[in-house]
Amino acid sequence: MVALLAAVGASLALGAVKIPLGEVIDILTGKDAPGPATQIVEVLRLPRTVEAILVGAALGVAGAILQGALANPLASPDVIGVTGGAGFGAMLIILLRPEDIGLLPVSALVFGLVAAAMVFSIGFSGASGGGVGRVILAGIAIASMFAAGTAALIAAYPDRVPSGIFFLVGGLTSDGWTDLEIIWPYFAVGFVLAVFLVRPLDRLMLGDDVAASLGSRPRAIRLTAAVAAAILASAAAAIAGLVAFIGLVIPHIVRLAGGTNNHTFVIPVSALGGATLLVAADTLARTVRAPIEMPVGPFMVLLGVPVFLWLLRRVV
Amino acid sequence: MTGSGRDLGSVPDLAPNGATPLLEAQGVRVTIGGTEILRHADLRLEAGELVAIVGPNGAGKSTFARAFCGLRKPTGGTVRWSGVDVSTIRGRRLARLRAFVPQRAQVPNGVTVKDAIAIGRSAHLKPLQSFSAADREAIAGATARARLDGMEDRQLNTLSGGELQRVQIAVGLAQGAPVLVADEPTAQLDLGATAAVSELLRDLVHDDYGIVLIVHDLALAAAVADRVVVMSDGRTIATGPPVEVLSKEMIGEVWNVEAELISHEGRSGLHVEWLGRT
Repeated sequence: MVALLAAVGASLALGAVKIPLGEVIDILTGKDAPGPATQIVEVLRLPRTVEAILVGAALGVAGAILQGALANPLASPDVIGVTGGAGFGAMLIILLRPEDIGLLPVSALVFGLVAAAMVFSIGFSGASGGGVGRVILAGIAIASMFAAGTAALIAAYPDRVPSGIFFLVGGLTSDGWTDLEIIWPYFAVGFVLAVFLVRPLDRLMLGDDVAASLGSRPRAIRLTAAVAAAILASAAAAIAGLVAFIGLVIPHIVRLAGGTNNHTFVIPVSALGGATLLVAADTLARTVRAPIEMPVGPFMVLLGVPVFLWLLRRVV
Repeated sequence: MTGSGRDLGSVPDLAPNGATPLLEAQGVRVTIGGTEILRHADLRLEAGELVAIVGPNGAGKSTFARAFCGLRKPTGGTVRWSGVDVSTIRGRRLARLRAFVPQRAQVPNGVTVKDAIAIGRSAHLKPLQSFSAADREAIAGATARARLDGMEDRQLNTLSGGELQRVQIAVGLAQGAPVLVADEPTAQLDLGATAAVSELLRDLVHDDYGIVLIVHDLALAAAVADRVVVMSDGRTIATGPPVEVLSKEMIGEVWNVEAELISHEGRSGLHVEWLGRT
């Protein structure tokens, strides 16, 4: 929590133009007279920081609930096809309809959800439907299909690819509140579902039979968790592109650091951790070579991997 | 010994005084993928009795238990818990009728004994509701019952097989149901741990719990059960006190082994003619 506040403070104060923290607080509380600094904070940095918090939290939560529901430590939004689908949806706009670039978030969101829906329709049907292995295998197959589609698009329009790189490696932009105005309901639905999944996911930890003995329906829990994760990850991809790493690693960092797998702890702390990491990494991405903005992905790895490895060594 | 002598008829009434059995399953059938696994299975359970379901591998014991616990939908027959059809009961109400202790415990990382037992109690909570003082008392009670005091903060993956099985039972007890159904709770345990679990189950019966035990070991069944139900090829073929039902003829017919159950003053054993040598 403290780390998140510090990262938010730095994110609002630092950038191509440095603004003292005191002034940032004055601007946010409306005490400062309108000026260029007010403009920078309110129009550029505040929306971007809020986006980073939401995207980071969404990916952290999506990873935590997927790893819980599929009882698989390697689960992340990739395995339910969301990343592949959203990537394809985005490249479709960037490469084929660059004049309609405003449609990018919607296209990424829609294709992310379509890919996830395809995975679920295969993974949750049939006699062994809803089993962990079936869902994961269906996810890998669908993800490869969309990856192949993306590769085909890239091969067909090689000259336009550079404009897509920022999306593919993940990065936030300073374009105000417009994207969030469309996407926020998806974040809201995803986070509310996650709150209701905390206890069912705890039961699932003790096995499907114990969960069923406790009156839950394991398949229904798994499907709800996968749907919530798909909504959160698609919404995140719509705003910030394919930000990898958070969904996979943050829940593990949280479990290792907390020494517990209880979802009452893992889900909210993964939200905080994901938000903190993305806000901090985005601040670095904007400041290291200011005024040039770098993609956020590498900075996230730079900050997150040492922490992760240190925890891994300490525990194992 | 209970058995046919206590047949009070099937009164479709929710009388709490035992007029209606805790559990009554009749003619249960289960078909999985076109194959009829369970053809015709009956079971009746009263409070304060321990019924052991015995039978060879593949006889349908586990499938039957999952069906009458409401974990798998039967294709035919009726299952009534205190007179109420199991197919009409779901969620928290079902959780309070019976606890199912599965054969293979899943042992997750990062879960303590206390966490696991609390998860068992969560069957009493509405979504987002938190534990009341009564719930915490029930958790402590289940912990003490299963003799897990002092082990609350141990991680599940550091426990021995016997300790883990007692945690599984405690999870079921925290659920607060009057019936415990355990599928082979002692299959992986050594002699000492098996005796400890058996003693725990008998204590529960003494306190008026109804217990259904699925068990391979006929000597163990004879020692702990008030009544055994023999299953063979998807059917329940006999029921009654262990020494009467598990006759030389029955064992020969169902298991194809020449063996005899010896039971005397709380001790039981199986004399088996292993390789046909004399």
